[in-house]
Amino acid sequence: MLKITDMDSYYGESRIIPSLSLDVEKGKVVCLIGRNGVGKSTTLKSIMGLVKTPKGSIKLDGEEIINMPTYNRVRGGIGYVPQGRDIFPQMTVYENLMLGLQARGGKGELPDYIYELFPILEKFEKRKGGDLSGGQQQQLAIARALVTQPKILILDEPTEGIQPSVIQDIGNVIRKINKELGLTVLIVEQYLDFVLSISDYLYIMEKGEIILQGNTSELDAQEVQDQMTH
Amino acid sequence: MVQFMNTVFNGVSLSSIILLTSLGLAITFGLMRVINMAHGEFLMIGAYMTYVVQNIFAKFLPESVFSLYYFVAILAAFAVTFLLGALMERFIISKLYGREIDSLLATWGISLILQQAARSIFGMQGVNVTAPSFLNGGLEIGGCTFSYNRLFILVMVVACMLLVWYIMYKSNFGKQMRAVMQNRSMAQCMGINSKKVDMITFSFGSGLAGIAGCSVALLGSIDSTIGQSYIVNSFIAVVLGGVGKLIGTVFGSSIIGFASIGIENYTSASIAKAAVLFIVIVVLQFRPQGLFTIKSRKLDE
Repeated sequence: MLKITDMDSYYGESRIIPSLSLDVEKGKVVCLIGRNGVGKSTTLKSIMGLVKTPKGSIKLDGEEIINMPTYNRVRGGIGYVPQGRDIFPQMTVYENLMLGLQARGGKGELPDYIYELFPILEKFEKRKGGDLSGGQQQQLAIARALVTQPKILILDEPTEGIQPSVIQDIGNVIRKINKELGLTVLIVEQYLDFVLSISDYLYIMEKGEIILQGNTSELDAQEVQDQMTH
Repeated sequence: MVQFMNTVFNGVSLSSIILLTSLGLAITFGLMRVINMAHGEFLMIGAYMTYVVQNIFAKFLPESVFSLYYFVAILAAFAVTFLLGALMERFIISKLYGREIDSLLATWGISLILQQAARSIFGMQGVNVTAPSFLNGGLEIGGCTFSYNRLFILVMVVACMLLVWYIMYKSNFGKQMRAVMQNRSMAQCMGINSKKVDMITFSFGSGLAGIAGCSVALLGSIDSTIGQSYIVNSFIAVVLGGVGKLIGTVFGSSIIGFASIGIENYTSASIAKAAVLFIVIVVLQFRPQGLFTIKSRKLDE
């Protein structure tokens, strides 16, 4: 579904990620984990076209997207939930959701399953996005990305700063959209229990490089833990 | 009573003129945070366009349709300044996003170039437009005369406000525009072409300056410094009202308009100017963000 080959990523003049390769198989939930500052978020931003990627290849469903502007990647089927959620604070919940339709030409209706997945959003439809709690904003950000009708959903630390019960809800939603809608999911995360419970495949990153990967069921949880904390 | 009515009308009228000249600025400066020093010159271009269109009508078309020139002039002024705005955004402003000081200097340079160009083309002397015949005279109510000129500007302001409101809050482009202005990269992640939105938004703000120029052409003679004389009040109105809020600009303009007229009534024009600046300073002491600020819960702090 999404295949990165030998990609370099730059923040300004400094190279954050040298020659990264990563493969997200269709229909899978893939997690990219690692400690702070190893380049996980930068990897996602590279996929979105938000940082400079002068070298390498990113293929979405076989199509080269590395030189595409961000908005065309989104229209091509990548849904993005950034770290810190990036809700539009002065717009209502409903307006935030409707913005997802811009990827589909600004027309159409919200898919029915959005409010089924997140009943809280229907309740708070008219509130300003900036007035929601962190967990609610996270749910709104995921819902909004789903409205763009992506083929692959990319989430950057969806559990960061969120209370345990909401983390569980979010985990359930991700499982549901993966199983029922057949959506491919790529998650960057630090919260190991969440990762182990949700993912099919794992990449562990260290200083911009993948140091360990494998099917979650086959990896030794202790080894993963050690890699994260050493 | 008549005196009072006149004062109120003059206040409303001055406020509406300031508001009209501030609307474009509220968009380019208020929403986009681009300090465009050449905004006043777009106003000047709008005014000169009125003059040009008037001359074309006088020369080539029968006198019976002469009065209609003004409507053509509004469209022409909007079109020309919209286009200039687009060019300026594409080739200068867009290269300088996030570098306020640089864009301030660059646009100031453009302002000087445009002023000199106006002097070269139209001469040092101010030129005048003949108001269309239907704007001559005034409406008399209870001993007060409200000139059609100024009433017409009032109508124009309301029309422009409605246009801006409709575009910003009702159209699909407005949605894209608000998204881009609130969070550029996230807007892109919603599939919005933010470069295109930036360009059209800036052009639209510039086009509004053109329309404003068209209406100030009715009020007096047009020369190369006409933009400068309006732009200061406009900047003050936008800052006073609160950058980024249209409703703030409405209030900012009204405060400046009414205060100027009110104080001028009892003192003199120059004291009124000083007093208005004083009011602005005092207000900004207590509300540095302007009268209307954007409130929201910040979770990441």
